[in-house]
Amino acid sequence: MKLRKKVLFSSVAVLALLALAITAFAAAPIGFDDKEIRIGQWGPQTGPAAAWGNVARGSKLLFDVVNEEGGIHGRKIKYFIRDDMYNPAQTVAVVKELVERQGVFAFVGGVGAACGMAVKNYLAANKIIWVGPSAAYNDFVFPVNPYLFAVYPLYKDEASILTKYIVEKLKTKKIGMLYQNDGYGKDGLSGVKERLATYKMSLVAEIPVEPTEKDLASQILKLKNSGAETVVMYVNPTAAVISLRTSATIGFKPQWVSSNTLSDYGLMYKITGGLWEGVITGAFAEIVDSKHPLMVKYREAAKRLTPEERWGVFYYAGILFADPLVEALRRVGRNLSTEATLKALNSIKDYQSIGPKITWTEKIHQGTDSVQIHKCGPGASSIMLQDWTANDLATWKK
Amino acid sequence: MDMKRDYYEDIRLFKSNVVIFWTVVLLIALFTAPLYIDSYNVYLLNIIMVHVILAVGLNILVGSTGQISLGHAGFFAIGAYGTALLMMKFQIPFVFAILIAAFIAAFFGFILGLPALRLEGPYLAIASLGFGLTIMHIIGGMDVFGGRMGVRAPPLDLGIQQLGLTWILKTDVQKYYLILILTILLVVGARNILKTRVGRSFVAIRDSDIAAEVIGVNLTIYKTLAFAVSAFYAGVAGGLFGFVLGFFDPFTFNLILSIMFLVMVVVGGLGAIQGGIMGAALITYLQYDLFKNIAEVPYLGAFLVAVSKQWFTLVGLENFNAMAIGLIMIGIIIFEPLGMFGVWIRLKKYWMTWPF
Repeated sequence: MKLRKKVLFSSVAVLALLALAITAFAAAPIGFDDKEIRIGQWGPQTGPAAAWGNVARGSKLLFDVVNEEGGIHGRKIKYFIRDDMYNPAQTVAVVKELVERQGVFAFVGGVGAACGMAVKNYLAANKIIWVGPSAAYNDFVFPVNPYLFAVYPLYKDEASILTKYIVEKLKTKKIGMLYQNDGYGKDGLSGVKERLATYKMSLVAEIPVEPTEKDLASQILKLKNSGAETVVMYVNPTAAVISLRTSATIGFKPQWVSSNTLSDYGLMYKITGGLWEGVITGAFAEIVDSKHPLMVKYREAAKRLTPEERWGVFYYAGILFADPLVEALRRVGRNLSTEATLKALNSIKDYQSIGPKITWTEKIHQGTDSVQIHKCGPGASSIMLQDWTANDLATWKK
Repeated sequence: MDMKRDYYEDIRLFKSNVVIFWTVVLLIALFTAPLYIDSYNVYLLNIIMVHVILAVGLNILVGSTGQISLGHAGFFAIGAYGTALLMMKFQIPFVFAILIAAFIAAFFGFILGLPALRLEGPYLAIASLGFGLTIMHIIGGMDVFGGRMGVRAPPLDLGIQQLGLTWILKTDVQKYYLILILTILLVVGARNILKTRVGRSFVAIRDSDIAAEVIGVNLTIYKTLAFAVSAFYAGVAGGLFGFVLGFFDPFTFNLILSIMFLVMVVVGGLGAIQGGIMGAALITYLQYDLFKNIAEVPYLGAFLVAVSKQWFTLVGLENFNAMAIGLIMIGIIIFEPLGMFGVWIRLKKYWMTWPF
């Protein structure tokens, strides 16, 4: 009796296992059919970097608008956002899931250099196109990866352009630098130094900051003692807030100049308690209240489709990063394939939406070396100081 | 029904032929799994097994010895960085590199075990938490470790370069078999530790450290040993994790990860090997797979999307992930303190006495 019971139980269990195994069989589909093109993006919706989750939601707005207008050559875009919590292990998992189960044609955006690095080779091996990572990272584009197309200007180029502006327009003689002690900060530092060398100038102070430091009093004091009139900062938002507050306390009032990673004035103004006013930053997209027709169009669409979302620079960066892919898909036409799309992407020349002009060739997948220069006005408003400017010192173009 | 007549019966690996039968079935299933599941699931299984190794090790510390640790992501990081860097910088073969890295982790475990001699409960939790965060920041601050930009794992070469032997594992399936074999070895190893003198000392310390000391258990040795063994497991898991991922940076090993490891052990069942395995498998599956696709689950998905539109923040359904894990944790502690292992025991009893 007991044996029979066990046999019964065992066979049920084995059958259940088999059933499970069969459901797992589904073959990986290709990225599109007659009705839809599947596009994915990972982004930290929760976890330590959740504040950058709006990039992925910004891309959604673009695809919603495209779909409203009838899609691309009769195909609608089906868009998947996956939360990776800024954790590369989870990025790999969500990307594999999207590629192998959902059958994604391409990825756009994607926050986090480490997250991107964790999936870069996998995407290339599976011939999945990836347009517009939301990080400037040399390893993404040098050497060229045939499936990866970057929109974001490199920090070094930006720093060089900002320095030119400081020397020629602000006429500052004494420039100090506060930089985060990692790839991001050091790229900025090398850009500043390269530009200053052409004027036979040098920094009066170069002060590294560890990303996690919470007390910057000694660094700010060093800057003050160096007599810097302008301070360039390549740091994270927290360090920027602490720097500005510390400076205000000790009565150090230089002209602050910072990278585009801190160009979300609405946010920075709020968390610095208004100290952000007067700060000059680089920018990879038009100003928030720009009259640019595309900006007006997307702003109106955002009000209509996602009224609860704040119209900030990283939200519409999601549009900027995804837009060249939509353009390439339009150029390909009805006969869609990965090869055709790659060809279209490689032939994109001086294409401009709400950011700089993008040019890709077979050999260079870094799309631009241009930034705008903005200044934070009263009440977190944006003032454009200088329109799209390329870095004449950029060596990678040659 | 679970009566033991002598000591040797207690330490036997397989208690009956039925257990042997099912173990063989399970092993066959595991070894043939890559034949019929897709590559995404192989990756998921790899992550699950890495977490299993870690959870089984953590369970020796938390479940069996009664010492809490919120710093296991630190040992995990030491394993990952140690293995990758030993292979890259010193050309040490994988097998030795992962062992050395695990022993380094174990050494740090021993160090962390020293304050544990004086600290208990929340104070130990704080000390271990500090350890985990410190490791993360030290690694992040030093260029030797690739700084904040992270490290790309070298090719997983099982051979010995110096002798001209190379056997590079490239695909997820190849890595699957390596991890599977190591997981089995380590799980059996953990069982052996717990069933022998060392394991009984651990349990004695958990139940009452004063009583344990009175009957002759050297607290200094066994408490630090528990930390070292647990850290060793975390180190091996970390070493494998680095290759599963291929690329990692210091912030991969953050506080949240340490907490998730603890969740795995608590949800699975404290003090039971099966608990660690079940907890790691369940939590990893939920976190990496089900919760990511919850919107596509029939009925439930649509319902949750509606709830999220009504009450959640802009982020939407992603909030659900953390909430669900929290709810599971609270639910387990209130209703089933033994965790999934407790559920398993009751199911087993039910089947053995069926239909009564």
